[in-house]
Amino acid sequence: MTPLKTLHILNKPPDHSRYRLCLCAIGPEDGLLLTENGVLAVTWLADINSERCFALAPDLEARGLSPQISSEQIVSFEDMVDMAATAEHVISW
Amino acid sequence: MTDIPMPERNNEGFLQIAEQWHPKVAEVIAAEDGIELTDNHWEIIGFLREFYKQYELSPPSNRLFVKAVKEAFGEEKGNSIYLMQLFPGTPAKTACRIAGLPRPTNCL
Amino acid sequence: MRALIIIDQPPYGSWEGREALDMALSLAAFDQPVALLFCGAGVNWLRKGQDAGKVQQKSIERNLAAAPIFGVEALLADAGACDQYGLAEADLLDDVCITDFGTELTGGFDHVAFAG
Repeated sequence: MTPLKTLHILNKPPDHSRYRLCLCAIGPEDGLLLTENGVLAVTWLADINSERCFALAPDLEARGLSPQISSEQIVSFEDMVDMAATAEHVISW
Repeated sequence: MTDIPMPERNNEGFLQIAEQWHPKVAEVIAAEDGIELTDNHWEIIGFLREFYKQYELSPPSNRLFVKAVKEAFGEEKGNSIYLMQLFPGTPAKTACRIAGLPRPTNCL
Repeated sequence: MRALIIIDQPPYGSWEGREALDMALSLAAFDQPVALLFCGAGVNWLRKGQDAGKVQQKSIERNLAAAPIFGVEALLADAGACDQYGLAEADLLDDVCITDFGTELTGGFDHVAFAG
């Protein structure tokens, strides 16, 4: 995958105002990484199923959500560090 | 005495690492409270350990400990006098300590 | 006095919901009738298949299963929120009743309190 321009790290659930704010801010070369309560988005939005959307494995497992997202989109803590290190910008929502 | 090394415990005598529990360890902890473990004790200890395995929590208070025992064994054992006799002091706390479980959250 | 405690926060991200569960258990300990209602993102407490070992917490799914044993009368889930979060009845823990959050429901309780 080409390096991301901006990595958006979202840990807010879908009914949080910052969740909508974040989705509006995602550009075509950006990536979205769902963590903590943010992983609840996998049950919420169809357009979350893009190749630039990822979710953190331990947070999915805790909430019983791993089956709801394709395995290519599931990342480990190590992957998260790599993504943050290679992206030009990181925004933590 | 026992040839099993005594695991590390916190300042209230609860095990630091749950996996280090062993019946012999239970006997030593019980002896500190002057309790000699009988079948009646082991029944409750076994019940608590099963309870923890299933629900990932210790009964949070004495009253809830009594309730859980009552659900499992009926009135005869699920009453505070019976449990107080087996596990003097604060029964939920004493029993969880001997059973190698975390400290009940709402016991003083 | 019948009490209804409402959890509208998602699981694992904060402690408010666990504190509310604790409150419900404490009421049950003193034989006070109490029910728990999950609405909004709170319905995610009720999804089967949680494994919280790697976030170093106890499984909310398992902790909740103990609530009926301790005397919590009912675990209720708001139907609209379940739809929103893709939860069908089969995805929910056993013993959960799907209901509609509204005055008809809250009217049946003397005391209604939110978590957090």
